[in-house]
This record gives sequence, C-alpha cells and structure tokens, in this order.
Amino acid sequence: MSATCEYQAKDYKSDLKPIWCPGCGDYSVVQGLYRALAAIGRPPHEVAFISGIGCSSRIPGYTTAYGFNTVHGRALPIAQGIKLANPDLLVLAAGGDGDGFSIGGGHIAHLIRRNIDITYIVMDNQIYGLTKGQLSPTSQKGRTTCTSPYGSLENPVNPLLYTLAYGAGFVAQASPTDLVGMAAIIEEAIRYPGFAFVNVQSPCVTYGEEAQQIKGLKAISESLAALGHDPADRLAAMDLAQHYGSKMHLGVFYKNPEPPPTYDALIRERQALLSKDAPPKERILDLFIKK
Amino acid sequence: MRKDLVFGMAGSGGDGIVSAGDSLLQAASAEGYHGVMTKSFGSQIRGGESSCRVRISTDPVLNPGGNLDVAVALNWEDFLKFGAELPVAGTTVVIYEAATGVAENQIPLVGVTPLQVIAVPIAAMAKETAGTERAKNTVVLGLIAGWFGIGAVAVMKGISKKLAKKSQELVEANQKAFDAGMAFAKSHPLKADMTIVPSENKGGVKLLTDGNDMCAAAAIFAGCQFFGGYPITPSTEIMQFFTNHVWKYGGAVLQAEDEIAGIGAAVGASFAGKKAMTATSGPGLSLKSEMMGLASIAELPLVIVDVQRGGPSTGLPTKTEQSDLFAAAFSAHGDVIRPVLAPTSVADTFRTTIEAFNIAEYYQTPVIILSDQEIASRKETLDPIDTSQFKIINRLRPSGTDLQDYKRFKQTENHISPISHPGMLGGTYLASGIEHVESGAPTNSGSVHARMNDKRIKKFDPLKERKDLFEITGNPDAPLALVAWGSVAGVCREALQMAREQGLDVKLMVPYLLYPVAEQTYRDFFASVQKGLVVEQSHLAQTFKVLRMHLDLPKGLQSLARSGANPFLPGEIVVALHHLLSELQRSHEGKLQPQE
Amino acid sequence: MAAQGIDFASLSLMDALDLAILIEDEAKERYEEFAAQMEQHRTPAAATFFRLMAVNEAKHGQELAGRRSQLFGGLTPTVTRAMIFDVEAPDYDEARAFMSPRQAMKAALASEVKAYAFFVAALPALKDAKVRALFEELRDEEVEHQDLVKAELAKLPPDSGLSDDDFVDEPAAQ
Repeated sequence: MSATCEYQAKDYKSDLKPIWCPGCGDYSVVQGLYRALAAIGRPPHEVAFISGIGCSSRIPGYTTAYGFNTVHGRALPIAQGIKLANPDLLVLAAGGDGDGFSIGGGHIAHLIRRNIDITYIVMDNQIYGLTKGQLSPTSQKGRTTCTSPYGSLENPVNPLLYTLAYGAGFVAQASPTDLVGMAAIIEEAIRYPGFAFVNVQSPCVTYGEEAQQIKGLKAISESLAALGHDPADRLAAMDLAQHYGSKMHLGVFYKNPEPPPTYDALIRERQALLSKDAPPKERILDLFIKK
Repeated sequence: MRKDLVFGMAGSGGDGIVSAGDSLLQAASAEGYHGVMTKSFGSQIRGGESSCRVRISTDPVLNPGGNLDVAVALNWEDFLKFGAELPVAGTTVVIYEAATGVAENQIPLVGVTPLQVIAVPIAAMAKETAGTERAKNTVVLGLIAGWFGIGAVAVMKGISKKLAKKSQELVEANQKAFDAGMAFAKSHPLKADMTIVPSENKGGVKLLTDGNDMCAAAAIFAGCQFFGGYPITPSTEIMQFFTNHVWKYGGAVLQAEDEIAGIGAAVGASFAGKKAMTATSGPGLSLKSEMMGLASIAELPLVIVDVQRGGPSTGLPTKTEQSDLFAAAFSAHGDVIRPVLAPTSVADTFRTTIEAFNIAEYYQTPVIILSDQEIASRKETLDPIDTSQFKIINRLRPSGTDLQDYKRFKQTENHISPISHPGMLGGTYLASGIEHVESGAPTNSGSVHARMNDKRIKKFDPLKERKDLFEITGNPDAPLALVAWGSVAGVCREALQMAREQGLDVKLMVPYLLYPVAEQTYRDFFASVQKGLVVEQSHLAQTFKVLRMHLDLPKGLQSLARSGANPFLPGEIVVALHHLLSELQRSHEGKLQPQE
Repeated sequence: MAAQGIDFASLSLMDALDLAILIEDEAKERYEEFAAQMEQHRTPAAATFFRLMAVNEAKHGQELAGRRSQLFGGLTPTVTRAMIFDVEAPDYDEARAFMSPRQAMKAALASEVKAYAFFVAALPALKDAKVRALFEELRDEEVEHQDLVKAELAKLPPDSGLSDDDFVDEPAAQ
C-alpha cells in the first residue's frame, strides 16, 4: 500500500463520457466523489469501485479507479469479496435505489452486520431511470409511473431507517443541493472505519417529479447539524429518519463514536494467528492420513 | 476366501449403522485394504431410515459395487425402504435382528433366495454386554469381524480412539459388545467361507477421505485463497473444510447470505486477483447463472463446484444424479462457452479440481466441476498422492509494456489478454457485464460485439484438443463401446473388466472434460464403434443429447439412461453389452445372407 | 458557501489572484463538460455556445495568470481547487438534453450572477486593500459578462413556445 500523496479531483476523473442526461444529479455526485477521494489521497489504482445496474451504476466507469459494473442488485456481495481478498484496497460500492433496496435489499443487512469496511453510496431518485421510468421501492405511494398508471399502492422503503435499524455504524444523507456538504459527507463516510452508507437524493431530470428536482429538494432541505442533532444518538437519528419523503435532512444521521473492529480486520487477525506454524499447502493431503 | 466383499447395512438413524460403516471402513483401511463407503438416508434429520454400503477389497475399488455380499438389516421396514440401493441376490448372506420376530425362511424379500439367512439377537446381546441396546452397531462390527475377518483388532482400536475423550466405561462397554458379536460369529459359522483374503499392505500409508473434502483440499493446494458459498446438501462440507483450514494459508471464506452473494463474493475476489471458488448443488447452480455469465463476459477466472443431486428443483437432496449437464453447459443466457469438468472418484477429484483451477486461470473463465452426491459423500481409501507431479497455472499478468497503455481485453493471437487487478499500477480498467471494447469501456456496437464473442469463444479451441482429459481403455479398434462420466464411470470400469474377461471386445471412454465437446476426440473414438452405450443417470439422457448436438454419432450408439437414485450395477451393464453383441452378430449375419 | 477553508481576512493578493484563476479554471472545465454533454446528447447549438463560454473563461483565466506571473513569478500557490466548489461554474442542474441556445445562455447568466454574489459576499471580510480592489474588479467584470450574455440573448429569435417533448423521441430504455 503506497503512502497517501497529493492527488487532485481531476486525477480521479476518467475520459469516458457519461451517458447520464444533462442535468442528472449524478454528475454532482461523481464530482463530490472526486473531491472526497482527492482529499483522502489514495492512488486511483488502489481504489476498487463496484456498482450494480442502473443509470447511477455507470459511475465507476467515470472514475480512474478499478471499476466493476456488475449485475443488478449484486454490487455489495461482489464488493465484499474484493475487500476480503485484498483488505488494503479502498472499496466503494454504488447504485440506485432500485438496485440497492429492491433486488439488492437482501444483501445490505449482511454487509451491515458483518461491518466490512466498504462505503456504499445510493443515488436515490425514487424511480427506475435506465429502464424508462418504472416504480422504485422508494417511490411515494400514489405515484404514477409507467408500471403504476393508476397510482402506486405500495408504501416506500425508508433507506435511512432500514440501514439504521440494521445497525449500520455510519448513515448519512446528502444531495447536490449542497455540493460542499455532499463532498464532505462522502469523505467522512469513506474515512469511517467500517460499513458506511450514504443516501444521496439525486434527482432524475427525465422521469423525476417536479417536486423532487433540485428546487423542490431545496425547499424541503434541513441540515442535521443546524438542528443540533447528535450523530452519536442512534434513536434520535431514527426519529429524524422517519421524515424521509417529507423532509430532506442532510448530514450525518448516525456515526458510531466507538467503531468496532471491522470484519476484514478480524479476518486478518485470524489469518495471522492460524498461519503461524501451519504446514505448507503442498502437505495438505496429510490431513487425510489415517493411522 | 474372498478378495472383495460388499456390505449393505440398514436401520434407523438411532441405530448408529452409518457410524458402524465408518468404523468398518477405517479398520479395513488400517489393515491395508482398499475400500469405499456410501451412505443413504431418508428425509428426517434424525431417526429416519439410514443405510450404508461398504465395499472392501484387496484391489483398488472402482465403485460401490452391485449386489450385496452381506446384508445387515436391523429392521425390515427401514431395510426395504432402500430397495434397489441395497440389492440382495442369491449370493447374499442376510443377517438380521432376531427381535424383528421374522422367521429365517420368511424374510420379506420378494423373488430372491439368499445364500444364507441368519437371525441374530443383536439388540439383546448389546443390552446384555454393554448395558444398552444402542451398542447394536458395535455388536454388528463384532459379527463382521468374526464371520469375515475384517477389523478383529482394528475396529476396537478405532473406536477406543474415537471415544477416548469420553469415558473408559464407554470404551469397555463397546469392547464387550464387540466381543459378544465375534463370539456369536465363531459359534455360528457360515455355510460358505467368506473370510477376506489377508491384506498384503498392512502398515502402508493410506489416505481416507470423501469427495467434498478432497475437492476443498485440492483447491487450497492449487492456490485457491477465497471461497464464497452457502450451505446446500450435498456440497456444504466443501465450505466447511475451507472454514477450518483456509485461514492457515492467508485465505478467506465467507458463508454468504445466499447463493448469489456466495458466488458474487468469489467473483469479487477473482477480480481482486485471487483464485476463488464457490460450491453448490442443482438449486444453487440455477441461482448462480447470472453471476456465471458475468464472470464469462468479464473474463474472470472462477471455479464453481456443482455436486449434483436428484433434480429438478429441490428434487432429491440426498441422492445422486447426473442431470445438471444441460445447466452446467448451457445456463446463463447469451453465447457462452463455460468449461465443465467431472471427476469420477474421490481419488481423481484431486487432479480434476487442480485442472479446473488451471483452466480457469489460463482461459480466464468460470469453470464448473460437476461432481455428484455419491463421489462427494462417499469415503474412499486411496494411496498417497505425489503432489509434486502437478503443475499449477496462474493467470497471465501484464508486463511492464502492457501496462503502459493497458487494454484489459486486448485482442491477441490466442485471444487471451493479460489481466490486471486492483492495486496494480497502470492496470486500471472497468470490468463489466456490459459488452465492451478492448479497453473495457462499454459499447453497443455490433461489430465489436461480434469480435468480442469471437475472442471469448475461440479462446477455448485448444481446450478441445486436450487428449489428456479423456480416459480411453480397451482395444482402440473395438466395435463395442461404453461412454460414461462421474460416478457412473466407476461402474463402467468394472463392467469393462468383467465384459473383457467374458470375451467381449469392448472399449470405454471416460471424459473428464464434458464441455466444450471435444468433437475430434469423440469422432476418433467412435470410428471403430458399431454398437455402444452412453450410460448416464439422467432421464433426459443429457450427455447423449449433448454429444448428438455436436457430432454425428454411430447409428448403433444407444442411450442407457435412467433417473438418479436408481444406481447402475456393473452386472447389468455387462448384460446390456451382451445384448449389443447379439444385435451386432445378427446384423452381420443378415449382411451375409445371399441376395434372393 | 461555495468556498471552504478560505480565510478571507488574511487573503493575500497572490492568494486572491490564484483563487480567481482557479475560479475561471473551474468554470472553463464545467463549460467544456457541458459542451461534451450537449454533443453526447445531440444538442449542437447549445454545445457551440458552451464551447464559446469555455473559451471566454479560459481567456479570463489567462489574463489573470499573466498578471499573477508578472507580480509573483513562479511562487507556488497556497490555495487549491479543493477550496472552491461551483463558484462561477454553471450548476449541473442547468443542463438539459435538447436545451435551446436561450436556455444555455440563461445558464451562463445564472453562473455569472452566482459569481457576482460570491465576490460581493466576500468583500466585507477582506482586509487587504489590493485584494479588495481585485475583488471589486472581478465583481464588476461579472456585471460586464452578464450584460454581454443579455445582449446575446436579445439577439436570439423568440422561442417557438412549443415543448420539446412534442417533437423529440421518447427516452430509450437501456
């Protein structure tokens, strides 16, 4: 692992032209990510960036990290394998609200409880953009989309409560409405030693509702810091998180003041312990000798 | 005296019959014999019907055997549940629990008169000597030692060792039960002498293990440093082996939240530069399809073990079958070639697994090892393996020049591009499931797609030329042939021996590489063949169909296929070969008839 | 506030010039990015306009760089890009596929207004007289730029008043 050195935001930007619609919130997110990575200063080739499928999942290709644009809903399991195979890497995962909380929903709980040092950024726009505007698990009830022409009958998932309830050590929300704040939150999340979740309210200009565009989001935006929220208080965080959908709270909801050892750190300990005095793998068949 | 004995024992789970089989096999192994043990159960977790089959021989054992030489029934209801798995014939000695109340001339086996039938008060002897009926299995071991000469000393040695940590009383109780069994046998000699020929190999080192453990050990030997998986019968032991041992070699194992996450983690580990593996059975293979496709298009090395069981869907979780070939070769949408290898025994699971890793690394592809429930869970004695003879292949790394303008999917002469991994300076690239140009950037161009498909498919051409992945035995010009893979190959090897002893001119092809289909190798094999059988445990005869898809088969090549949990016996294959010979002779005679 | 970690009170002239250069750089890069987005999304007229803006920003930047070089030679800057975020660069939210030249110009206008506000807000905090003078100059320049864009806007023929959606293809599912 090389020492951190002077990197600038543009060192993390690749030459690939994004397919995102002009005006997409994800342009701001990736900009914020470049800045966060520059501030942290890990060389791009030591960063692994894994995503699922969706508009926002295209993001790894727009960075100079080792990217892996995998299959729908499975960024986290794959990211998990990467981190456990090489814990020295800085591992990021990203995707949309559908990728994460619909098909991918079953995996989030396990990444949280294993507390693997991965930062997971979800670009939440309450819609399935890539496939042309279907209902997503965070769409508001009553929302009309091309798969809910008479209005959605489902209550949305609350990504903030979800991750808080499963015990995530770091949960935050950000938005392009506050660029500086978003870059700072992403940086803080990456620095957090353990599984960190950032929900970014990133509007879809093609399918998003008017009220959920930047102007609409600004109108319902509130800073957690300004409210005097203490990020060490999980219950207070969950209380505030209930307002997902009606208010957009920005900032760190919860950050464990005493982060426990990460899964990857514990594995390294175990490897160190058990490989002492272990016979070489060429002698592995000795395990089957019956005397 | 006998060189080879096949024991079949059945009771309920509470009778410890499988434990007895274990002890018998271990004792036989310690005494220098070759042996194989398979188990079969009902669906209860505990206390259902339970059986084992132990075959002991002075020669290497090729398969668990056909008709039983010795049948041990602790109760008839359970014994009968195993039907064709424990076939009793006119050559079988039947030993059963006297307390069943069944008279020796009225045992409930229809249409067969065994060689000898003996009722033994097994439970009573156990109660009397050990103080508990539960010691039944030890009494049985004593009977076996007395009548057949196996394990007279070794069995108790093994049992004592196993129970040493528990209590001396327990060991003594078992010793008494064992001695009682031996004494009964000595005082009630069998009509025929069925003692086993003394072994010449006493004191030699023998390994004893099952297919799952062997597969995991081989993987670690091959350099596998990551396992991601999920519990599923009958493959879970592979994961368990990793959880016990892989840490010692700097590796990691993850029991993931589901099958998909299991293979996903392995895909990630491979992307990160480590050799990685996952293991499952049929239902998990179905779930893993999408990830396998991802690994194929991203050209990531990966080994996927499918321990086949009865299908479709949940099927028969504890019985063997060979019905996953279609899924292994063809699942995951799109035009994909995914190599499929199959071991035929516990012993060759070692080299098949190493080969799978070598192929995965060299061709940068997922590779499926199609094992089956029988190989995976049967215990087999084997001679020590000289591990130094195996070459380990690692993925092609980029050179300094490659890294100057690195293109992950660079077109090369043999279609294999050097592969980097995170942490390698200059090797950054975007891996993805989406079609891509040489650099990895996404594309939807038809011409690029055609070129990339060419690359991904043509890169496997040399694999089809590998003769060393096929075992051909017998006269190369024989007109009669057998084709079989997996555990059925073992049955056919024995059938081949028997047939040739009976004067049949027959050869056997055992493919270790099932897919891609090595068309030329098969064509060469079939050139002389006029009649033959593709023997497989698959109702749809999947192997026969896959072969027919790829090459013209001889007119006389037939399918001998049936659903799993209905094992083939060497004897029945030999009978089938005789039929084929008759057909062949009739057709020759027909040809020799003068024209009217 | 689009600035982080800048202590306006202690800002030196060199720092101020360097900041101004960075602000122009950021704007230039953003306009180039917008031009690329427009080209990628087949909106050539807006692309042309954004390219023009990028060239303008580059020119301003070069002018400032010239001044900076004369005054301070090759001294290493102490301010960095990390200290500013979207000062004069148009908001990502301003861009749209199929945007008209009028919409593109309005986006440029909005960013000039943003930059103006930045300099105005900073002025009270500045202690150094030369820095004050510079910021006032930059503030006034923003007004000039706004007037230039407004003039260009006035030259445009009126928009048809019809919605794009009535003409363009539906989005394509991927």
